[in-house]
Order: sequence, then structure tokens, then C-alpha cells
Amino acid sequence: MLSRRELLQGAAAMATGSFLSPPADAAPLAKVKDLGVLRVAVYKDNRPWSWEKKGELIGIDVDLAQLLAKKLGVRADIAQITADEGVEDDLRNAVWKGGLLGFMPADIMLHVPFDRAFMARVDRCAFVAPYYRESFQFAGKRDEIDCDAPPVQWTGRKLAAELDSIPDFYLIGLSGGALARDVTHYPTGAQAVTAMLDGKAAGVLASRAQIEAVLHDRAAADIDRRKMPLPAFASSGWDIGMAVKENSRTLGDAVETIMADAATSGELAALFAAHGVTYVKASAG
Amino acid sequence: MKGRFMRSLCGAAALSLVAAGAPLLAQNATGPTDADLMADASSPGDVLTYGMGPQAQRFSQLKQIDASNVSKLVPAFAASLGGEKQRGQESQPIVYDGTIYVTGSYSRLFAFDARTGEEKWEYDARLPDAIMPCCDVVNRGAAIYGDKILFATLDAHMVALNRHTGKVVWNKQIADYQAGYSATAAPMVVKGKVIYGNSGGEFGITGAVEARDVNTGELIWRRPTIEGNMGTLNGKDNGITGKTNASWPGDLWKTGGGATWLGGTYDPETNLLFFGTGNPAPWNSHLRPGDNLYTSSTLAIDPDTGVIKWHYQTTPHDGWDFDGVNEFIPFDATINGKPMKLGAKADRNGYFYVLDRTNGKLVSASKFVMQTTWANGINLKTGRPNYIDANRPGAPTTAKGTSVFASPSFLGGKNWMPMAYSQDTGLFYIPSNDWGMDIWNEPIAYKKGAAYLGAGFTIKPIADDHIGALRAMDPKTGKILWEYKNKAPLWGGVLTTAGNLVFTGTPEGYLKAFDARTGQELWKFQTGSGVVGSPVTWEQDGEQYVAVMSGWGGAVPLWGGEVAKTFKDINQGGALWVFKLPK
Repeated sequence: MLSRRELLQGAAAMATGSFLSPPADAAPLAKVKDLGVLRVAVYKDNRPWSWEKKGELIGIDVDLAQLLAKKLGVRADIAQITADEGVEDDLRNAVWKGGLLGFMPADIMLHVPFDRAFMARVDRCAFVAPYYRESFQFAGKRDEIDCDAPPVQWTGRKLAAELDSIPDFYLIGLSGGALARDVTHYPTGAQAVTAMLDGKAAGVLASRAQIEAVLHDRAAADIDRRKMPLPAFASSGWDIGMAVKENSRTLGDAVETIMADAATSGELAALFAAHGVTYVKASAG
Repeated sequence: MKGRFMRSLCGAAALSLVAAGAPLLAQNATGPTDADLMADASSPGDVLTYGMGPQAQRFSQLKQIDASNVSKLVPAFAASLGGEKQRGQESQPIVYDGTIYVTGSYSRLFAFDARTGEEKWEYDARLPDAIMPCCDVVNRGAAIYGDKILFATLDAHMVALNRHTGKVVWNKQIADYQAGYSATAAPMVVKGKVIYGNSGGEFGITGAVEARDVNTGELIWRRPTIEGNMGTLNGKDNGITGKTNASWPGDLWKTGGGATWLGGTYDPETNLLFFGTGNPAPWNSHLRPGDNLYTSSTLAIDPDTGVIKWHYQTTPHDGWDFDGVNEFIPFDATINGKPMKLGAKADRNGYFYVLDRTNGKLVSASKFVMQTTWANGINLKTGRPNYIDANRPGAPTTAKGTSVFASPSFLGGKNWMPMAYSQDTGLFYIPSNDWGMDIWNEPIAYKKGAAYLGAGFTIKPIADDHIGALRAMDPKTGKILWEYKNKAPLWGGVLTTAGNLVFTGTPEGYLKAFDARTGQELWKFQTGSGVVGSPVTWEQDGEQYVAVMSGWGGAVPLWGGEVAKTFKDINQGGALWVFKLPK
């Protein structure tokens, strides 16, 4: 439920057509410390990064938000955002402007791509602290599918993928649609992995974090992961970082320092490991 | 003749009440009945339905205001929707019993006194902040029935209010906004059922039409628009839509799109509802070989059971985001010497279709925009477009690939804004736009924090002097008899009257009146913000009134580029304007 203050702030942002920046003298980092709250935006329903398990918001990004707040000496106010059609929309809704329905902009948003070409298109945000290298992987049941076989040989085996994702486009479009009839679609990659473990598919193409986390949570055995790259696959992986408003560089700098220290100390690797995910340093970091 | 009789009757009734000092309750306190709604097009004293009649011809018999005197038209009053919530006002007013009901941005409903403009009550839906409306926070209008006024909210609820007090009678969730559903269209009431479609763009949803008991809100039937999905009637299965996997590969029919986001029309003569359906999902057509039924189509549905009686697909296997949601307006005409029951639709794809409304067979299809790069006409034998394959956007790849120019742009030759049909001139008046888009594969795209293969596009004008064009189309010949060009894109509905007039609004802020036969501009009034609502007219106390909503917004301002130059200086607003002739 929205507080009246949030509603008014959101409404003010909408009425002017742009978010009202704080006064120049209120440096973003000082403002966060004065208020004692760091408002962090994370994606809704994004297992293993930020998702609700029995009503509780958990995940790697949720832990990272707590870590940032703790090191800044403030409380974390974690806000879930519903993904829009693209991350540029999400940044507008969550960081630099606010949502059309009153969603109050956050101080920082997690899980945004750290990609030079992409970042150049969003001049309203500053991108900081790349903290993970993500990629897609194929995993399958050892006794049902040969993960390292040429993909066309998977014809006739049930395959799971997130709807309208690169894995979906790849599997459906491969070899003129040879596998198209075998693909079952799920709302998220984590649900696609779960479906395989539940016996609804022999193989799944999803992100590495989604596969590792679900296998870990289910203590699944006899699952293979493809070692060689998929032929003509569209993505070689991407870096994930954080975004603050373009004028919030003081906050961004503080966050970069915290994250660099956490990587060096091993804190980051431990935080990922708690969710079953192997920490992989961002290639840009 | 009939019009004059009704006018004098209404005038007399109102006068006697005023003389007796009675409250302004000129009509039956029990409120509009099914029969009243069906007769709306021939009852000039009120506006009871979205479209000014179930057929939604938006034609009024009134002619007190006509081509000779419209230049004298002046405001009677204006009423603000107030607050900070001033965004696109796409609503059409409902007028009954001395009250004007309008819906506003952010799912609000207002009741204004039809004589003074004073607010009687206001209902604000409490909306969750996680809704992701694709195209602004608009609402297009309400439905009235008995003691109720009904409208749909952005979080996909149908709300029935007491029309006297604004208090909630019932409120039902009609879809899950968290799954990407929304609702913005005006509902309709047919035979005691409130009937409506659903919204939701590219989020893995499927379209449906539903009917509920207007008095209780209980679901009576549900008809999904995508083949393979099961319909229901009175809580029991009522047959699947189409034939599973006949035109969709794999399990994509489960999330095939085809939202019915613009609502429908109804023809009492054939007892058919007509609902248009949106584009298929996913957007990339190369991943879903087949016609993808029943996306980008018009469906004729039995209002008693929800069974599909016929369908006509305007853009089989859509690859351009050409929704087929546009209103299908029933009308009668003589074609080649044969009197026929017809219906017409001006589609997003730039073609004006005339169908036999008894069976959905194509009678004619004519281009109503400057350019259609995606097809070279419609084959009258097969009813299918003559596609220009080279101009279909390519399959997503990691390479940027070649850019394809497509016209109309994805916002369409005509978008949501309803056209009008004059029984006097026999012409359709189409609010259209001439624009195209460059579309290309965008390998550097991200969705929900993950790499994605998207499409990049820019919308651009294709003429130097205009984007918007109000066009008078002869449905018998497919010829455009006149056009009015407008610099900014047209985004408001059209009204036509027996006074030889056509009314429509412009983003520049004007409500304008044109000669219905020549297109000559006869009158304009600056409302202070862009007009993207649908005008109406009615008679009250012996005088003819015209009303329209003012308030710039909708999908157009969300897209920048060259097109934005035509509207960047237009201010937000939110007001009902009411006009009449001076006494």
C-alpha cells in the first residue's frame, strides 16, 4: 500500500513530466544518510535474484541491497518493479522518473546491463559497479538427453525455455524450426528449470544463475550442463551492474567502493554461494 | 421529421418540470432498459451507449445545429477533472437524466450536472502502483443500465456504480494485472449482460471477450480469441476456439496475444457482437509460422452463448504490430443493385474493409492512407492481402541487419479513435494518420535485466504538410471524397449529424466542425489542451448540445522522433467542454 506522501511525490513527478531532482545542495549520498534509508529497486519475480518465497522477498539482489545499506549505515527500502517491455523503460520507471501509477523512483536499481552501447543510450542514468557475468546455458537430464550433441539431435525431446527470451528464439528458430514443436514455454527461466526437474522436459536453456540456483535448491542430481558453445547462439553473455540517477554520482562512487571491497574480501562470492550460484566477475569490472 | 417530433417532446417535458420546481428528472427513475439502449441511435434526448447506438455509427438525427449556423457555436460550460492526474482524456460522455457521465485518466468516473456543469459526484479507482500500462493511463468511457453506470479500470476490474450516488454496487476483477492485463475500453450492455474485452500488450497474454450479469457481476460466458483455448458458458466448458495448432506452432497459442482492447459493437438485427483482436505474440513473426488465428481479426460472436459465428482476419501472420481491434460498424447499403447488410472497419493496416455482416465475406477493401508498403491491395477472391514479402521485418539476429521501411507505422493508419457513419450522406468519416517507420533488428537490447533480441524503430511522417487526415470514404466505391489534413496525428473520435456536419478534435486543442459533404472547415474552438476524446450531441430543453473531452495524451506522446515535433508544445489538460448555439 502506498503512503500518502509517496502518492503525492509520484503525482508531482507526473505533473511536471519529469522527476523533480533534489536541490543541488542535497548531495544524493548525504541525502541517503540523512534520511537513513536507501531505496533499492529490484525486479519482481526474478529468481534467483529477487523473488518471493512463501511471501518473503529473497535472492542475491535482495542480499546485495541489504549489504549496500548496511555498509552505508542505513536501512534498505527494497522496492520490486514489474519489468516493462525493455530495461530502458524499467530505468525510467525505477530510477530517473518514476512510474505512471505513482511508483517512487529508487536511489539505485540493481540487475541492469553493464554494456557500453546500451549505457550510451540512457543518458539519464549513471551505471556503476558491474557485479556479475551472466550467460545462457543448456542443461539436461543425463539419461534422457545428450547435452553436448548437435542441437538438431534433440528433436523429439521436450525442451523448456522462458517465453519470448533469447533461449526461446534460439530453440524455436533453430534449423528452420526443427525443434519448434518440442519447446514448452514458461513465464521465467527458473520455472523452465523447475519444469525439467519435475519431469516435464528433458532439457532447458536458461541463464546460468537460474540453472545453478534451482539445481541447488532442489538438490538435483544427474543433470548435465553443456560444455561447448551452442552453434550460432546469439549471446556470449553480458555484465550486470547497477544504475543511479545521472546526478547521483556521489552515491554511485560509494557503492562502487563497497562492491569492490566485498569482491576482494570474498564476501560477494559467499553471498552468491548461499544461493547456489558461482560468483563470476564481470568482464568490465 | 422524427427528430423534430422528439425534440419538441423533450423540450415540453423539461419545461413543465422546471415550471413545477421539480428536480431535473426528465426520465424514468428506473433508468435505461435494454430496449432504451438498443434504440439509442434514434433517441436524441440522451447518449446511452459508447458509439451513440449499439452499432456505434456515431450519427445523430439532430439538425438544429447545422452547416449554416455551426459557426455561431459557443461554450455553454466547461468542467475540470481536476487534480494532478491530467493525462490523455479519450473518453466519450454518456448523457442521461440531466447528468453527463465521463471517465477520466487514472480510472476515474465523474457525474456532472448537464445544465450547469457542476460536479455531482466523482469515483476514483484505487490503483496499485505496479501496473504497467502500455499506452498511457486512459479510459474510453462508461456504460449505463438501470440505476448503474459501469466502467473498467486499469487494474482490470469492472466496476458498477449507482448512477445517482457514485457508490459501488459491485466490483469484479476481470483479469490479473500482475500477469500483464489491463482494461481501458468502454464496456457495452446487451440483453442484461455487460460485455467487454481485455487489454495487455506484449506480455504473454491471450485475448478474450467476456459477458457478466449486469446486476450481479457474475460471469456468464468467456470466449478466448486464440485457437486452442477453451471457452466457457455458465461455468461449463463451451468448446475451444478454432482448432488447436491449426495456425500456431507448438504451445505458442497459450500466449498468443490477440487482446480485444478496444471493446465491441452490436447489431440487434443479426444478433451479433463484433469484436476486433490485437496482434499476435511474440512480435517476431518468423517464430510463429501460420495465420495465427484469431489475431488481427474481426470476430462475430453470439451474445447469448459466446460462440464465434464467423471471423475475418485483416492481417494474417502479422509482422508489423497491426492490431485488428478497430470498431466494426454495421450499416446497410445497396451494392451492385443488391440491398445488403454490411459492416465496415478501417484497420490499423491502412485498408478500409466492407464485409457482409451476416457471414463475414469480404465485399471490398480500399486503401484509406497515402501508402501501404506491406501489401499491394487485398485479394477480393481469397480475402487475403497481397503481401510484399521484401517489406516484412526480418528474423531477429545478432547482426543489426537491414532496416525495413513500413507504412503505416505500428501506430496504424487508424488507431483506437472511432470513425463515424452518416445515414444521410452514406459516407464513413475516418480519423487517419499518414506515417511510416524504419524498423530493424536491435541486437543490443535487454529485457528484465537479461540480453534480448529486440527491434528498433523510428516513426516518421511521410508527407510535408500533415500526419493526421480526416477522410470521407464512400463505402460503395472505396473512393475518398474529401480530406482534411492536420499537422499533428489525429487521435480523437468522430461524430456526424443530420445537420450535414462532422465533428472531430485535434491534438492542437481544437474541436472542429466540417461540412459533411464537402469537408469545408466551418468552425473551431480552442479547448486549452489536445482533444483525443470522442464528441457527442444530444438535445436538452429544446436546444442541441455538443460535448467533448479535452486533455492531451494517449500513445502518441510516448514516441519521440520527428513526429514529436508536431505536438511537443501541447499542454496537458482534463476538462469536459459543452457547446450550444446562443439564444
